[in-house]
Amino acid sequence: MSIEAIPAEKPKRNYNVLFGLTLLALLVLLWIVLSLATPSFASGNNIANLLRQGSMIAIMAVGQTFVIITGGIDLSVGAVVGFATVVVALLINAGVPIALAILITLLVGVAIGLFHGFGIVKMGLPPFIITLATLTSLRGIGLLMTNGNSININSDSFTAFSRNSFIGIPNLFWMVILVGVPAYVFLHHSRWGRYLFSVGSNAEASRLSGVNVQRTIYMAYTLSGLCAAFVGVLLAARIGIGNPTQAEGWELQAIASSVIGGTSLFGAVGSVHGPLLGAFILATINNGANLLNVNSFWQRIITGALIIIIVYFDGLRRRGK
Amino acid sequence: MTPTAQELHPAPVLEPGRTILELRGLEKRYPGTHALKPVNLAFRSGEIHAIVGENGAGKSTLIKLLTGVMPRTSGEVFWEGQPAALATPHEAMALGINAVHQEVVLCRHLTVAANMFLGEENSRFGILQQRAMVREAQKIIDDLGFDLPAHVVLGDLTIGQQQLIAAARATVRGTKFLIFDEPTAYLTRKEADQLFTLIRRLKGEGVTIIYISHRMEEVFELADRVSVLRDGTLVGTRNIAETNDAELVKMMINRSIEQVYHKEHFTPGAPIVETRNLSGKGFENISMTVRAGEIVGLYGLIGAGRSEFVTSLYGRHKKSAGQILWEGKQVQINSEHDAIKLGMALAPESRRDQGLCLNLPVGLNLNLPIYKRISSNLLISNAKEKAEADRQIAGLRIKTPTRGALASSLSGGNQQKIVIGKWLAHGAKLFIFDEPTVGVDVGTKAEIYRLFGELLSKGAGIILISSYLPEVYELADTLHVFRRGKLVATHGFNTASHEDILTQALAEKQEKLGGQT
Ligand SMILES: Nc1ncnc2c1ncn2[C@@H]1O[C@H](COP(=O)(O)OP(=O)(O)OP(=O)(O)O)[C@@H](O)[C@H]1O
Ligand SMILES: [Mg+2]
Repeated sequence: MSIEAIPAEKPKRNYNVLFGLTLLALLVLLWIVLSLATPSFASGNNIANLLRQGSMIAIMAVGQTFVIITGGIDLSVGAVVGFATVVVALLINAGVPIALAILITLLVGVAIGLFHGFGIVKMGLPPFIITLATLTSLRGIGLLMTNGNSININSDSFTAFSRNSFIGIPNLFWMVILVGVPAYVFLHHSRWGRYLFSVGSNAEASRLSGVNVQRTIYMAYTLSGLCAAFVGVLLAARIGIGNPTQAEGWELQAIASSVIGGTSLFGAVGSVHGPLLGAFILATINNGANLLNVNSFWQRIITGALIIIIVYFDGLRRRGK
Repeated sequence: MTPTAQELHPAPVLEPGRTILELRGLEKRYPGTHALKPVNLAFRSGEIHAIVGENGAGKSTLIKLLTGVMPRTSGEVFWEGQPAALATPHEAMALGINAVHQEVVLCRHLTVAANMFLGEENSRFGILQQRAMVREAQKIIDDLGFDLPAHVVLGDLTIGQQQLIAAARATVRGTKFLIFDEPTAYLTRKEADQLFTLIRRLKGEGVTIIYISHRMEEVFELADRVSVLRDGTLVGTRNIAETNDAELVKMMINRSIEQVYHKEHFTPGAPIVETRNLSGKGFENISMTVRAGEIVGLYGLIGAGRSEFVTSLYGRHKKSAGQILWEGKQVQINSEHDAIKLGMALAPESRRDQGLCLNLPVGLNLNLPIYKRISSNLLISNAKEKAEADRQIAGLRIKTPTRGALASSLSGGNQQKIVIGKWLAHGAKLFIFDEPTVGVDVGTKAEIYRLFGELLSKGAGIILISSYLPEVYELADTLHVFRRGKLVATHGFNTASHEDILTQALAEKQEKLGGQT
C-alpha cells in the first residue's frame, strides 16, 4: 500500500485561520464603511465606546464557547451578569475592600457554574433546562435581595476603572485580552481543551479513553459562570449600580457571537478568536446603526440576518464546497 | 490473463449475461484524496460480483457513487444501456439500485418496522398504519428466515441484527441491483449463513449483487466474479473458478503474505488479572485469569455477554457480585478511570458509538488516552503530540492525508486502526480488544497480530474477543467459550476442533453440555 506522499499541512488549522481572517476582514470592512458613512464613527470617543460595548459580550462569549464545544448551552449568563452586579454592589457598599468584593463575586459565578455541572452530571438534566431555570430564578433572587431597586455604588475608585484607559485603550478592552489569552492557551494548548472537544464529539468514546467526562462538564460550566460574573463586575463598574434586571438578553448575544465566530451548536467545533471577533462585529453593527439613526428594531433584524448568512457560508465551506 | 485489455475498451462489452450496469471512467476525488481513479467495469445481470481491496482502496466510495450518496467527479454510468446521472439516492432507488452500507444508516430510535418502511410509510388519510406496518414487516422478516421481532426499537438490537434488518429493508423495494458493503463484519456465523441464503435467493430471482468483503472464504463461497481495487484503481476482474486466494491477495496488496495468523508463544508469567465469580448485567459467575505474555480468547455469539463482561471488568458498568484480583491483590474497579490507572486498556466493540470522536482529527483521537503524558505541566508538547500520532499512523499504516484530517473522512477499516492504535502508546499491562479486526484488510490484520506479539513480549496480557472463530482459534493461548452470559467451556491452544467450539457456543439444549467445563 502506498500512503501517497503526505502533504504536511493541516487542513483543519488552515481552515480555522482562514475563517478567522475572513471575520477580521468583515470587521475591518464594516469599520471602513461606517467611517465613510458617518463622521462621528471614527471619533476617539465613539471607538472607545464601541470597544467597551463589545468587550463585555466578548468575554461572555468565550465562556459560552467552552460550553457549546462540549455540546451544551448556557442560557443563564445574562442573569448571572445582572446578579453579579447586585452582589458586587452590596459588598462594596457594605465596606468590603474592592478586591475582596470582586473575588467573592467571581466565586459566586463559579458556584453557579458548579451547580449547573451538578444538575447535568448528577441529576441528568439537559443543559438547556438547568440553565434556563437558573436564568429565571436568579433574576428573582436578585429582585428579592434588592426589593426591586437599583443599588448605587458609593465607591468612585471602583467605577472609575471602567471609564479609564491604559495607553489609549479602554480598560475594559484590556480585560478582553486578560481573558482571551489564557482562554486561547487553555482551549488550544492544554489537554483540558482537547477534552472539551472530545466530550463534545463523543462522550462515551472519551470516557472509555480515560477522559474524565464529568469533570470536563463541570469545568466548562464553571468557566462560563466565572466569565459571566466577571462581566457582571465590569458592568457594575461601568454603570455604577447593581441591578438584577441588567444584561437582559445578553445570553443570546453571547451565543450569537459564538456562533458567528464559527462555533458549532452540535459541539466539538470552536475557537477563542472566533467568538471575540463575533462579539465585536455585533457591537459594531449596533453602534453603527445607532449613529446612522437606524431604528433599533432594525438592529435586531440585521443581527438575525447576519447570523443566518455567516453560519450558512461557514457550513458551505466546511462541507467542502 | 490481461484484464487491462478488456478494461481499456470504451464500448460496452457484450457478454453472455446481459450487462445491466456499466461504469466508464468513473472517478472520485475528495479534498486531499484521489479515492477512485477512472474505473471501467461492467456488471452482468444476475451475477454475484465480489469487490475486494485494502482499507481505503475505494470500495465504499464506488458504492456511494452508484447509490447517489455522493456525486462523482467525472465519468459515466450506464444503466441497462442508458446513461444515468445517479445524483440522488432517490434516483438510484427508482432504478432499482439499493445498498446495505458498511455502517448501519438507519434510525436507531425508531422501531424495526418503522425503519423497514422509512420513506415509504403505509398511511391512510395521513395517519400512519402502525399496526399494519409491524405486521407486514414481521412477515417479511419471517419470510427471510431471520428470527427477529419487528415491533422493537432498532437500537435495542445488536449491530449484527441491525445489519440484517438493513438487508431486509433493501430487499423489499423492487430491487434489481443490490450492494452489500462488508455485511458480515458484525454478524455471527449463524446470522451470516442466513444472509448468504438470502443473497442466493435474490440471485435466483435475477437480482444482480455486489458483495464487498475482506473475508476471502466468503468471496469464494458466494461470488461468480471478483474485481480487485488497489489505491483507487481497478487491478483486474477474475472468474471465481479461475483464481485463488493467493492471487487475489497479491493483486490487492502487490505483495504476498505468507502467514496471516502470526502466533508467538511465550511462557505465561504471573497473573495480571483474575476474576472470581464475577457477575453483572448480561453475564454470570465468570472466573478467569489472564497472565503476562498470554492471549485469552473469548468466543461466543454476539450477545453472549463477552462485551458486557469486559466493559464491567473495565469499570464502565456495575458488577453485582464477585471479586477482581489485580496482580494478586484484590481491587475495586468502580470506573474506567480506576481501570486505566491500574493499567488496563479497552478497544471497544463499536467504533462509531464507543471508539471514535468522528468529527475530530485523527491525531487527537490517537492521542486521547495519553494527553497527560505528552503534556508538560499545563501545556501539551506540540512536538510530542505530532510524533506520537505520526508513529501510530505509520506503524499501523493508517491511510489518511494528514494527522489533521477528520476521523470521519477515513475508510471504515482505517477508522478501526485508530481505535486500536490509540492504546498502543499507552503502556498498559492488560489490553482488551473487542472485535479488533472488524473491517480490517488482510495485510493490516497480519500487522495487528504481529503487534499483539510485541505487546506480549513486553509482558502484557491480552483479552481478545472475536466472533470470527479462526481469529481466536489461531491466536488464543486459552480460549473461553461464552453462551448466554455464562462461561461454558475452556480450551488450550488448538486443542479443540472448530465444530466442538461452535456447538458449545450455539448449543440450544443444556444437557448437551454435561461435563464440558
Ligand atoms: N468523506 C470523505 N472525505 C475525504 N476523504 C474520504 C471520504 N470518504 C472516504 N475518503 C477517502 O477515500 C479513500 C477511499 O475510501 P473508501 O471508504 O472508499 O475505502 P474502502 O475501500 O471502502 O476501505 P475499507 O475497507 O476500510 O472500508 C480513503 O483514502 C478515504 O480516506
Ligand atoms: Mg469501506
